[in-house]
Amino acid sequence: MRAMWEFFFGVGWFATLLSYITITTAILISGSLIMMLLTWIERRGLAYMQDRKGPNRVGPFGLLQPVAEAIKTITKEDITPTEADRWVHFLAPVVILASTVAAFAVIPWGNLIPVDINVGVLYIVAISAVHTVGILMAGWASNNKFALLGGMRGVAQAISYEIPQVISLVAIVMLVGSMSVVDVIQHQMDPYGNILSWHIFTPVGLLAFVVFWIASLAEGERPPFDNPEAESELVAGYMTEYGGMKFAVLFLANYLTNFAICAVTAGVFLGGGNGPGSDIPILGTLLSVIYFLAKSLGLFFVMVWIRGVVPRLRTDELMHFAWKFLLPLALVNIFSTSLWIAITRWGAEQGMGVAEALGEPGSIARLAVAWLVTGVINVVAFFVVARINATRGITTYQATPTAV
Amino acid sequence: MLKTEELQINIGPQHPSTHGVFRLMATVDGETVVHLEPVFGYLHRNHEQLGEIWTYLQTITITDRLDYFNSMINEHGYCMTVEKLAGIEVPERAEYIRVIMSELSRILNHAAALGFWLQDMGSWGTTLMFGFRQREMIMDIFESVGGSRMMCNYMRFGGAARDITPNIVEQIQLFLEGFPQFIDDFERLMMDNEILLARSRNVGVLPKELAASYSVSGPVIRASGIPYDIRKAEPYSIYDRFTFDIPVGTVGDVYDRFLVRMEEMRQSHRILQQALEQLPQASGSYINQAYKAASKQQGLRPPAGEAYCRVESPKGELGYYIVSNGGNTAYRYGIRAPSLINLTALNDMCRGYKVADIVVILGSIDIVMGEVDR
Repeated sequence: MRAMWEFFFGVGWFATLLSYITITTAILISGSLIMMLLTWIERRGLAYMQDRKGPNRVGPFGLLQPVAEAIKTITKEDITPTEADRWVHFLAPVVILASTVAAFAVIPWGNLIPVDINVGVLYIVAISAVHTVGILMAGWASNNKFALLGGMRGVAQAISYEIPQVISLVAIVMLVGSMSVVDVIQHQMDPYGNILSWHIFTPVGLLAFVVFWIASLAEGERPPFDNPEAESELVAGYMTEYGGMKFAVLFLANYLTNFAICAVTAGVFLGGGNGPGSDIPILGTLLSVIYFLAKSLGLFFVMVWIRGVVPRLRTDELMHFAWKFLLPLALVNIFSTSLWIAITRWGAEQGMGVAEALGEPGSIARLAVAWLVTGVINVVAFFVVARINATRGITTYQATPTAV
Repeated sequence: MLKTEELQINIGPQHPSTHGVFRLMATVDGETVVHLEPVFGYLHRNHEQLGEIWTYLQTITITDRLDYFNSMINEHGYCMTVEKLAGIEVPERAEYIRVIMSELSRILNHAAALGFWLQDMGSWGTTLMFGFRQREMIMDIFESVGGSRMMCNYMRFGGAARDITPNIVEQIQLFLEGFPQFIDDFERLMMDNEILLARSRNVGVLPKELAASYSVSGPVIRASGIPYDIRKAEPYSIYDRFTFDIPVGTVGDVYDRFLVRMEEMRQSHRILQQALEQLPQASGSYINQAYKAASKQQGLRPPAGEAYCRVESPKGELGYYIVSNGGNTAYRYGIRAPSLINLTALNDMCRGYKVADIVVILGSIDIVMGEVDR
């Protein structure tokens, strides 16, 4: 991008500035468009699961419904409660949206990379934590009890779930040997287009994926972890006192967070834009964007699917789940990752993937041993931890009604 | 250590999951409920006063509005009371028609109640729609017999307003064929769900003794372990002719109420199959012809006296008390509404549980505000 502007202007700093402005604009516009698509997918998908029609009147297949809704929310009156803290109430949506959009700076759209910083993974985790501050601000400033409870729940939940989320990412960072998101995606590249080089297809990556995905659902306040806005309990949680455009901003931030989660998951575990033909010079870029969007939207559909079938967890159960289930699994996963690294790279250079292993004699056996060892450890750990936490296994409880 | 304070939250009157205009004054310590006070009366419509002003026939129409999820059973109870007062006999076929409609109504109510309960628990809409699909089919049957989907206005003194045609019998049979599949699907979808088990087991426990002392009824008391069902305890209409079981829970928690309702739907299905088999074929005997004309012209004047009748509504024991002084309107008219009486135990059920449990427990009682406030 910078090279393109340099071609036109020739001045280094000006071209850099222009390139950043272009990238930011592109991210903001594509973000809003993606959000519209996501709301449409969510509503139509849920309607499909529930035997309803969903929005199908505005535009073809109701695709323009989000536009109509955007117009509605923008033209609505902007209400601030009299007793609310005016400035904090106003700033909360801004903080939430800003932190969410900022996360998109390092997320590669296939081969299109906005910024490649060498601590990209850490940056994503850190910037999405700022989101929490916004939730607390919204909950506190509204001067509403439901909002306060929602805000508190949001903070408790976000802090608890960040830990397994980060620790599951540590395993991947160990595997790759770099924190750059681009490096993580490169590590999963296979010259033969073999999807088995994706991280999710290793025992270590699979467990990390499960933990990361569940923790991210909680981080993005998706059901079954939508406690901060729990509709049937807290009306709308920390969003209760927001209306009009402020609500639209919160809504936008919510869906952008969800998309960021899907994009990061797709990048870190599903090979980002990698796929057959994604390394062809120009066509490959287009293909990689398509692959990336397909993977991310597929993951988003999984989110919708989960929303359609699963009831909500209670707040204390939610905490137990994070600390007693996800955290031990994530820690075990770090252990098995180090075993994996030790076995596959004993005496080899850093960064040996499946492709290199295939070329090197004896490496197949090494890979097989690594698969076996980590696979057994992870599967056993999963079932042990699940067994400890199972409610179904409680034998003292018998509640089957008997006919009299 | 920071000092903490108790917080009072008003859940309702405008709230997505209070099942109508109903207010819960909850005192919470963090997320734990310390005290809970139900406040109602927002939907008061002078039902009992209207019943004393309107004629007996007119009052049938407003009994539909009591518990608008099972209008058929409300009408059944009211008509039984007036029949007892006026000494009207009900023909055989009419009794069968009434039982069929009542049991369909029970299935309708439980399917919707379970859907709403799971909706309160946060499973967004899918289970509600699942229950509502069955409800829709039953409402189609009601529309065929009574002309209206929810406010059926179908029962009359001495029988029913219209006969059920072979087509309608076929429609009911078609529904009954598909129904066990629905129950099994619903059970598979929800029974083994880890989150549902975690959220409903040992939540909102109402012990046997407490349940009896609050005189709660219906699935709530049966889930607490007391096999009290008016259809067995004091068989009305022709319920003594059918074989069916009463499901009873052991713990008295929210999960037991869920299971009891599931099983009750199965038992209603059994009753319906027997009733359709035994349905007498004498056409025209859907109403006591001697009283048909009188009741149509609103000329029904029961002799002075009083009568109390109770039926097993899906919510519990529904009782009607009518005093007549010989006129064409009731002199006194009172209702024992199961929703209201089950609601009184709410504080004891909720205390010590979390805020999130309040709506789940409330959903498990299955109240309809139309009946609570009357």
